[in-house]
Amino acid sequence: MFKFICTIKKESLILLRDKAGLIIVFLMPMVLIIIMSLLQEVGYSSINRETQVDVLFLDQDNDSLGIKISRGLLSSNYFHLHDSVNGKPVTDTGIREAVKKGDFVIGIVIPPGVTKKIRSNVSIMVAKTLEGFGLFNTNLFGDIPLAGADTITIYFDPTVKQTFKNTIISSLKQYNYQIESEMIFTTFNHEMAKAFPTYRPPDLVFKDAVEFHEVFPSYHKVEKIPNTAQHNVPAWAVFAMFFIIIPLTSSMIVEREEGSMFRIMAMPVNYLLLLMAKVFVYLVVCFLQTVLMILAGIYILPLFNAEALVLGNQLFALTVMTIVSALAALGYGVMVGTLATTHQQAAAFGAVSIIIMAALGGLWVPMYLMAPVMQHVAGLSPLNWALSGYYDIFIRGASVVEILPECLKLLGFFFAAIAITGIYMKFHNPMSK
Amino acid sequence: MSDRPIIEIRELTKFYKGNDEPAIDNISLDIFPNEIFGLLGPNGAGKTTTISILCGLFPPTRGEVFIDGMELRSNLDNIKHIIGVVPQDLALYPTLTALENLTFFGNMYGLRGQDLRDRIGGYLQVFGLEKAARKKISTYSGGMKRRVNLIAGLLHKPKVLFLDEPTVGIDVQSRMVILDYLNEINKLGTTIIYTSHYMEEAENLCSRVAIVDRGKIISIGNPKELLKEHPEFKNLENIFLHLTGKEMRD
Repeated sequence: MFKFICTIKKESLILLRDKAGLIIVFLMPMVLIIIMSLLQEVGYSSINRETQVDVLFLDQDNDSLGIKISRGLLSSNYFHLHDSVNGKPVTDTGIREAVKKGDFVIGIVIPPGVTKKIRSNVSIMVAKTLEGFGLFNTNLFGDIPLAGADTITIYFDPTVKQTFKNTIISSLKQYNYQIESEMIFTTFNHEMAKAFPTYRPPDLVFKDAVEFHEVFPSYHKVEKIPNTAQHNVPAWAVFAMFFIIIPLTSSMIVEREEGSMFRIMAMPVNYLLLLMAKVFVYLVVCFLQTVLMILAGIYILPLFNAEALVLGNQLFALTVMTIVSALAALGYGVMVGTLATTHQQAAAFGAVSIIIMAALGGLWVPMYLMAPVMQHVAGLSPLNWALSGYYDIFIRGASVVEILPECLKLLGFFFAAIAITGIYMKFHNPMSK
Repeated sequence: MSDRPIIEIRELTKFYKGNDEPAIDNISLDIFPNEIFGLLGPNGAGKTTTISILCGLFPPTRGEVFIDGMELRSNLDNIKHIIGVVPQDLALYPTLTALENLTFFGNMYGLRGQDLRDRIGGYLQVFGLEKAARKKISTYSGGMKRRVNLIAGLLHKPKVLFLDEPTVGIDVQSRMVILDYLNEINKLGTTIIYTSHYMEEAENLCSRVAIVDRGKIISIGNPKELLKEHPEFKNLENIFLHLTGKEMRD
């Protein structure tokens, strides 16, 4: 234990005196988390909230449907409608050209007379319905066919995603159905009033019969809406944690290359125990790094108008998750540092393997967007186990019991990496390289 | 000199992976207490490999080693307590001070407290480093680093001290201080096994030398005896060149 503590002291001194290393370990991940959160904030916002999508809008109808669509789009706070380009009123051709050039991603053209056509069709349908009651002279409408469907043209930039296109088309269809429904009731009442002079049509207030309640199920009835910070802070904290293998492997290989390991191996001390002391120091670094990243999520992100991280009340689970994630990362680092023969090999392999595991683990692309095969592969990445655990804590309010599966997997990974290191050292003495 | 060797090497052979030629080829050798034994040889002769095996850094392919009567592989932990190693590389942490480096290495031998502080203080004084004790090793000259490197191997007062090129690349003054001190601790009972390229240094310092080449001992004896055996040569360097050839080695 005495030698373990002395090694911790030595490693801490070396680390504290490496100013560049400290900047890399503490400052860079914070910068990364802020930049990535801000970048994704824009991305998320374009789907969810404040950032508005510029839409070229030509309303040739100038009647109920055109107005309904225009108001509907504006009220979503999601679109900013433009009826002119460079000071000139838009035309159908102008919209097509502007979208083609990439100046706008969406253009909508409401054709003339579309409301009139809907109104006419509604009148015919109401008249035909009332005919059954003998309340209407069908001769007036009998030969008039229902008008064919009119076309609302929507120009999309080729980069617009299908889900986004579907959302827009669904919204326009919804406005159309609303207009039709309102017209049917209004026309029906109007005709009923004509047939029955005593009938007093009610003042119709059209209201949705169904409302939607968004629920984000969590373990402790804490229904919080996940925001970008709750995705980004854990994701990049896990990434930074695993990236600590670069300074860790570097420290191990420098010790080997500069001869200190030669001396240590000739001393009456268990080298694996000294490695564990190194792991302990880097574990503290990982922990502090994660704390700083969480603080950045809570206090710094809001300064850039990004959403703040909501910490929740599972601090113990968060601590446990951070420790086991860091252990998994450090176990991997010790293994790479032992197996690699050169500094360059460790740095290159370490960095690339972490990037691959991060990509596979859903740190860059959410798992639900991955192909089914890749979703299974993602489950093999320790970064994914760590991220899942953090998501459970931040988004679902999970306690230690609920993150136990992830914790056990990460601990298993740590012990497996250390076991491989021990076995390798037994058969391939690092000093004989 | 005692009759019982402190180091017994029996048919020691070491092959490195992927090499058909042995780094050490069936060496047998006895080193006695209080000797300063020089292992001399050109680059790649097998000197560092021999010292590494004797220090327990890696096992031999074949053969046996006994140190102070204990078989090396089965008593490695005990043996590590009685041996000291001064590697050829400056095995120090450059961002730590001399004091911090020596404290750490002393701690690894289980030394601590006032005893360790006294030992470090004493050695720093002997080697003229007390004023620079709190400076980082990275700010030291080559000679100063070599001196700290030596102290790190002496702190636990080993019975057997292995020195791999301890004076390479340093100034004359530092070399003198180191060699004088080695003589002094030898007189106090420390057996020294020493490798060097400096033949004159070995001739003056060592009680016996073994000239090794291509993993084999090609000559062994007291430097004066070797000179008597080869009267045509006036110094050890000439004998060395005669035995190992003038061809350059990698």
